[in-house]
Amino acid sequence: MEGIRRIGWTVSQHKVLSICMVLISIIVLSGLLAPLIAPNDPNFVDLMHKLEGPSKQFPLGTDQLGRCLLSRLLYGTRVSLSLALLIVTSCLVIGTIIGCFAGYIGGKVDGLVMRICDAILAIPSLILAISLIAIWGAGWKQMAVALIIVQSVYYARFIRGLVKNIKQQTYITAAKIAGTSTLRLMTRHIIPNLLPPLFIVVTLEIGWVIMDISALSFIGLGVQSPTPEWGAMINEGKSFLRSHPRLMIVPGVMIFCMVAILNLLGEALSERKGLSRLLPKWAKEAKGS
Amino acid sequence: MLVVDHVTKKYGTSSWFHRNKPAKSALSDVSFTVEPGTCMGILGESGAGKSTLGKIILGLLPPDSGSVRFEGVDLYRSDRHTRKKIRRNLQVVFQDCYSAVNPRMTVRQIIAEPLRNFERLSAQQERSIIVELLETVGLAAEHLDKNPRQMSGGQLQRVNIARAIALNPKLIVLDEPLSSLDMIVQKQILQHLNELKDSKGLSYLFISHDVMAVNNLSDRVAVLDKGMIVESMEANAMFECSHPSSQRIIHAIHEANRLGP
Ligand SMILES: Nc1ncnc2c1ncn2[C@@H]1O[C@H](COP(=O)(O)OP(=O)(O)OP(=O)(O)O)[C@@H](O)[C@H]1O
Ligand SMILES: [Mg+2]
Repeated sequence: MEGIRRIGWTVSQHKVLSICMVLISIIVLSGLLAPLIAPNDPNFVDLMHKLEGPSKQFPLGTDQLGRCLLSRLLYGTRVSLSLALLIVTSCLVIGTIIGCFAGYIGGKVDGLVMRICDAILAIPSLILAISLIAIWGAGWKQMAVALIIVQSVYYARFIRGLVKNIKQQTYITAAKIAGTSTLRLMTRHIIPNLLPPLFIVVTLEIGWVIMDISALSFIGLGVQSPTPEWGAMINEGKSFLRSHPRLMIVPGVMIFCMVAILNLLGEALSERKGLSRLLPKWAKEAKGS
Repeated sequence: MLVVDHVTKKYGTSSWFHRNKPAKSALSDVSFTVEPGTCMGILGESGAGKSTLGKIILGLLPPDSGSVRFEGVDLYRSDRHTRKKIRRNLQVVFQDCYSAVNPRMTVRQIIAEPLRNFERLSAQQERSIIVELLETVGLAAEHLDKNPRQMSGGQLQRVNIARAIALNPKLIVLDEPLSSLDMIVQKQILQHLNELKDSKGLSYLFISHDVMAVNNLSDRVAVLDKGMIVESMEANAMFECSHPSSQRIIHAIHEANRLGP
């Protein structure tokens, strides 16, 4: 009873946070459990039933090849989310290594690394990603690598700023005087204090990465045709925009919801942590002013 | 034990764009010595260069010229190995107790940090040493697993002192350790510092602008004004100082304290 009351109190204190958490859990779960809850095989082509409206068998109707739209949407959640997670995690690892290195050493090394980052950041990221994919050919692997390269630079700059900030704190000096080695300084002091702001940024960034994936898949450079992915689904549906707008609206709404929820969650988190004023400033510095 | 010899420090602004800004002199030609088991008080107004001096003595900021020798070892002109040996004998307590500790560590982790860096202790030994250290500075063992945010300023400053004495150092630099605390807590901590000095034979470099605290804790006092030591004297003779700037500093602050609430 006490436990339930406590949970109730927490929820009422953090309404936006709780709602976002629940919605995200639902989306993630529906993606994870897609094989169990999807009513049909997402890739089963049945031209007899093409472009049908919602029915008992196909809750959201079928597409131009007679595939169940809901099933494709559920499997698409899997693809989009796992790709986004893969990209963000890789960026995080690369960005943390470069950012900690440059931020901690400072001086000439830092200057050089940051000028290189500036040069890369000067090109709009999606355009850079598109040119890289143009060189390597379309496909989800190439897209992932291109996005990782482009986004890591941003992470590196952001983390470097945070590290520089933390490095100036008195407790770092105190730890040095206590005889702490550089490696332990990193793992015990700098990285743990990096995590809360980083967690929030990642929440916000996953949303944008999902957008990027969808955008690249929409123009046919990312996830390829039979694989269900939200952006690719919009792409396939675009020829039927007039007669069957449902084919574009359904995945479009899904992308919108996902990005909106992640943004709301990020905002709510940063407000709770008292970072709502600092984060945009750091992010702006990281993007290069 | 500690010999500061003609130390000079200028802060220059040497960024890529403005190179030739005139460097600001923070310390010029500062010399003094601290004997074992004594306390040297450094008095000065805000911006006089007190913290800069503290940093140089701690080995954190190379001086432009001059030298700092601790137990015969030059802090800035000796190899790493020798410096590492000195490290544990030279500790610090900073002014702002909250920013001097990692907010994500517990009291136990904060005090254990220097111990882990220099000694191999079992978990049991470590705990008993930490509890003992806490008792020395007047804190109960119940605070062990608290976060810095759950402690009051006075309690946290005691934790900082416990961390500083954990390795049995020979000299502790106290950079205005009392300024952020209220009067009663100041008195208590001053008393602890006095006791520690006597029981462990500690030396202090006590940086402060609180004349009464310096008078209470120090054996000798040096007055720092605009980066120069204008006068140094025995602590019990400090109210008979002769130099105009030190008269100004000592009497002005003294007056302010008397008039204050
Ligand atoms: N990192 C720095 N870069 C440039 N100038 C500095 C730096 N640190 C200190 N200064 C300058 O050096 C002078 C002495 O500073 P310091 O911090 O040693 O003063 P202080 O005596 O400790 O003052 P307070 O009592 O306010 O702590 C000041 O004029 C300050 O502006
Ligand atoms: Mg100072």
